[in-house]
Amino acid sequence: MKHYKTSETVDAVVIGTGAGGAPLLARLAAAGLKVVALEAGKHWNPATDFATDEKSQEKLFWNDERLSAGNDPIPFGSNNSGTGVGGSTLHYTAYTPRAQPDDFQLRTDFGVGEDWPLGFDQIEPYYDEVEQFLGISGPSPYPWGPARKRAYALGPLPINGAGQLMERGCKELGIKTSPAANAALSAGYYQEGVGYRPACANRGFCQAGCNIGAKASMDVTYIPLAVHHGAEIRPESFVTQLIKDAAGRISEVIYIRNGQEERQRCRYVFLCAGTIETARLLLLNNLANSSGQVGRNVMAHTGLQIWGEFEEDIRPYKGIPGALISEDTHRPEKADFAGGYLLQSIGVMPVTYISQMARARGLWGQDLKQAALAYNHVAGINILGDCLPHAHNYLELSDEKDIRGLPKPRIYFSNGENEKRMTAHADKIMRDIWSAASARNIWAFPRNAHVIGTCRMGTDPATSVVSPDGQSFDTPNLFISDNSTFPSALSVNPALTIMALALRTADRFLEKHK
Amino acid sequence: MLMHDQYPDGTVRALLATDQVTEATRLALTERLTISPQPPQFFTASEFSLLQAICDRLIPQDERTERIDIAGRIDERLILNKSDGWRYDVMPADGDAYKLGLAGVDEAARLLFLQTFQQLSDELKDEVLKAIQHQEAPGETWQKLPANRFFEELLTEVANTYYCHPLAQEEIGYVGMADVPTWQRIGLNQLEDREPKSTERGAGGMV
Repeated sequence: MKHYKTSETVDAVVIGTGAGGAPLLARLAAAGLKVVALEAGKHWNPATDFATDEKSQEKLFWNDERLSAGNDPIPFGSNNSGTGVGGSTLHYTAYTPRAQPDDFQLRTDFGVGEDWPLGFDQIEPYYDEVEQFLGISGPSPYPWGPARKRAYALGPLPINGAGQLMERGCKELGIKTSPAANAALSAGYYQEGVGYRPACANRGFCQAGCNIGAKASMDVTYIPLAVHHGAEIRPESFVTQLIKDAAGRISEVIYIRNGQEERQRCRYVFLCAGTIETARLLLLNNLANSSGQVGRNVMAHTGLQIWGEFEEDIRPYKGIPGALISEDTHRPEKADFAGGYLLQSIGVMPVTYISQMARARGLWGQDLKQAALAYNHVAGINILGDCLPHAHNYLELSDEKDIRGLPKPRIYFSNGENEKRMTAHADKIMRDIWSAASARNIWAFPRNAHVIGTCRMGTDPATSVVSPDGQSFDTPNLFISDNSTFPSALSVNPALTIMALALRTADRFLEKHK
Repeated sequence: MLMHDQYPDGTVRALLATDQVTEATRLALTERLTISPQPPQFFTASEFSLLQAICDRLIPQDERTERIDIAGRIDERLILNKSDGWRYDVMPADGDAYKLGLAGVDEAARLLFLQTFQQLSDELKDEVLKAIQHQEAPGETWQKLPANRFFEELLTEVANTYYCHPLAQEEIGYVGMADVPTWQRIGLNQLEDREPKSTERGAGGMV
């Protein structure tokens, strides 16, 4: 790997190596730019560092404490940000549905929420590119959304017990299902600049780290590609300051490595630290916020889970967790809410399942032990639905300091009427599906997943933080590429769209600034 | 209602001795299996024994000869100042919440039953814990500390700590750590040879 001197002025510093940073880093490096990626976490070696043990794998989560406020406080840690080269893709479920064209124009269609300043047609070529590069496994044709130009790179992964049960229940109710698109390989896959990755072992451990490279986390896909093209990855480098020169451009990035402060000189900065840390860093540095919008419009997908116990042996630790999908609820008929959601079957690891059961059902004593004994017979369905931006949902810096002496972020989140109605709609459908599939002891785990927003993109500098190209209106050599810029939450898991948008941001930058 | 499953003892421990688990997995689980109880560092001795008494009610281990040390792991986390990445804004820092909450458990026990928590029968201990869980416990503590959130956080950590232990995983028939051979039989009612069968459910099924 190439190493740049901190005294050298590199073309770009990329802060964060997850879904927003890694694809962009690879693109800039391939164009011949001198690029350095600063990553707060370690550069793991999955084969030797990743145990098949949920407790040890907590090291992949962003474990710096965040304060969760509002009526529906968001749990962080295991959900949302990650720590390590690859960011949250180290522990994402690898679910990679595309957003549909109408997801980008919620306001036009429903009069609420926001339209994106760019449409599906501008994202679509990048969806296609990312899907082929990562080796997405999925059905072709895919039953929902516009016809794709190319089939998925690989056929779908095998369906596990939870998927079979959801298929059974949905069939009874006339709901169409399909094997889902997942960023885990159904067969061995080779990419120039990356090398060979083996097929998925059906290990069901995506959310705690893949140890063979079958799951397309960034550390085994775009990061090796970036390094192949001459990028430097600098792990365990926690960025604290962005220093402006007299002309108002960022000239240096300050970060802590091995307990020491280091500075990297640069021409451009790409902030790709995710919804929370990107906004936190801007607020800490009083940057890019003439609109007052940094930290506003926090969104989190509706993510209700419905669990049930079945007579059948399921062993929910086997197979890709999100094996089956339905998008029949993308725009449900006679709905009393804007937007919609998708349905997916879910397998689950034991500690995750039992901990959230204890939390949500409040079971303890013999009741908890008996419910835990049913683990091998449980299966879940969950939704992933749109969330409107509300003024009451935002991020601020608190007075409480973290171990580095920096203010901890406080995030306010309360579901609005639209999210509550969508969740009630989904609660009924999922209970019906599970009843039709002969589930017993059905219970609901209320949740919101995937925090989004805080640095909205738009065309008006008065109401948005960055342009549709991800460029700060206030600080022209600062760009943002991550889920913080999403103007609306979309009704699908965000990772694929973050990656696609990252490539578009890189291409737009190269067209204008190279 | 479904019959309760029962799985054989020793499954995970036997698998750890094979090449069906990776070295990283073997190291992590063996360490957890063999770690010996230490005196508390974060809690005082009396706080620690109270926490142990509470853990015994949240997850009874009466049938076990080898007990899983839950309180010790919580003490270890707090002395290392480790976080799970978030906390309810209405709650104080984790360590303070534990100390306050433990005092509140004894306070509630005294106000309800005129004895410390540990002096109570199992039934009365459970009454105290239920009162806290449902925000009905008396005491000054609960004016400062939201009782339901304290209970929720405590219970979640206790459940998490217990079920990440290999012995608890044997109890529920989990062998997902034995992943080296890959899983090929993943559909309904499809088991690999290394997956233990429940001795209770089997032929009987529903009752």
